[in-house]
Amino acid sequence: MGNSSSRITAQDRRAILNMKLQRDKLHIYQKKIQTVLTREHEIAKECLARDDKSRALLALRRRKYQEQLLVKTDAQLEALEKLTSTIEFSLVEKAVLYGLQQGNQVLKEIHKEMSLEAVERLIEETDEARAYQREVSNLLAGAMTNEEEDAVEDELEALEREILGATAAPTMPDAPSTVPVSPEVQEEEEEGSGETEAEKKAKRAKERAKARREAAREGTEPMLA
Amino acid sequence: MSTKPKPPNLEYPELYEQDTQPNDTTWAHQRSIWAAWVLSYCRAHRIWKLQLSDALETELFYNRNLNRRFKQRDAAELLEYMVAEGDVEWEGVGKATAIVYWKKLEEWANVIYEWIDNTGQKGSVLTLYEISEGDLTRNQEFHTIDPYILRKALDFLVKRGLAQVFGANEEMGVKFF
Repeated sequence: MGNSSSRITAQDRRAILNMKLQRDKLHIYQKKIQTVLTREHEIAKECLARDDKSRALLALRRRKYQEQLLVKTDAQLEALEKLTSTIEFSLVEKAVLYGLQQGNQVLKEIHKEMSLEAVERLIEETDEARAYQREVSNLLAGAMTNEEEDAVEDELEALEREILGATAAPTMPDAPSTVPVSPEVQEEEEEGSGETEAEKKAKRAKERAKARREAAREGTEPMLA
Repeated sequence: MSTKPKPPNLEYPELYEQDTQPNDTTWAHQRSIWAAWVLSYCRAHRIWKLQLSDALETELFYNRNLNRRFKQRDAAELLEYMVAEGDVEWEGVGKATAIVYWKKLEEWANVIYEWIDNTGQKGSVLTLYEISEGDLTRNQEFHTIDPYILRKALDFLVKRGLAQVFGANEEMGVKFF
């Protein structure tokens, strides 16, 4: 796979894959030997059944030889697997080392930002700001008359009372003391109180006209709706 | 895996004979029962590829209790139907061997990736042989998986960026992410 954005490293390709492929081949080889072993065993049995001792012996010898091969491949397989896991473990170690380096670098950068001078300067600046703040409130206090100062204090008190009162005892809304009436009834009552609908209209129109005249006098054009 | 599925329609021997089916709808219904049977049989026996001529002699298409069996033609037609359903794929043009997907490719991809994830093998290189034949997968459902199916399932993971397959021909490796 000639993928350009490959996440397969050279180690993956060359070392690990090849080793694992070799291991697979050994596995397959072992399987083959295993079948040969059982087959030779069967042959030896068959030969014995036919009273052919020398052939049975031959088969068993071959079997012994194959067995030795199997042991050898086992050792090789073990070596290969050890090497593979060593490589994999080294890769993990490399990753850990990289992580440590990164952490170290970040720590250094943070320390750089937290130099002693910077902290001192910051404290100094904060002190200055506080002093300035005090000055400003003094100035403001001096610029006000006693009455104004009193008014401010009264307001503060009122606010305090409000907050305290609100937290102390929430008051329930009062129950309505009048009998509810429907809107139509209200309207009738209003009509009864004097002005008719037509009169009201005329009054509103007059008010609007007055407003327009005033606007014109001030030299502003009436807005176009 | 030890629970052996029972062949369907034990009590209806005529289901083995397509010719005796009264009409097409009946056959269509039975076809789907048979298709399910083929899948569960292959799952239970971990059969990845069906050799049609051999399969006709097995329990799959030959019910010895009833002394009823599929004819080659009917079995082929059943498999053809399963090909259309996406459960089976002919290997080569001869239509003598069928690759059976008793799990969909995407499901295989998920099962394999889950195993990789659960065994902490993300980022390591595995050979395809190792996945199908290795000792580590012995208790996994995909042990002995057919290389062709494995390759196609891995393609799903590759497409999703969860794996990369590399190497040449028979010597392929895969790295999971």
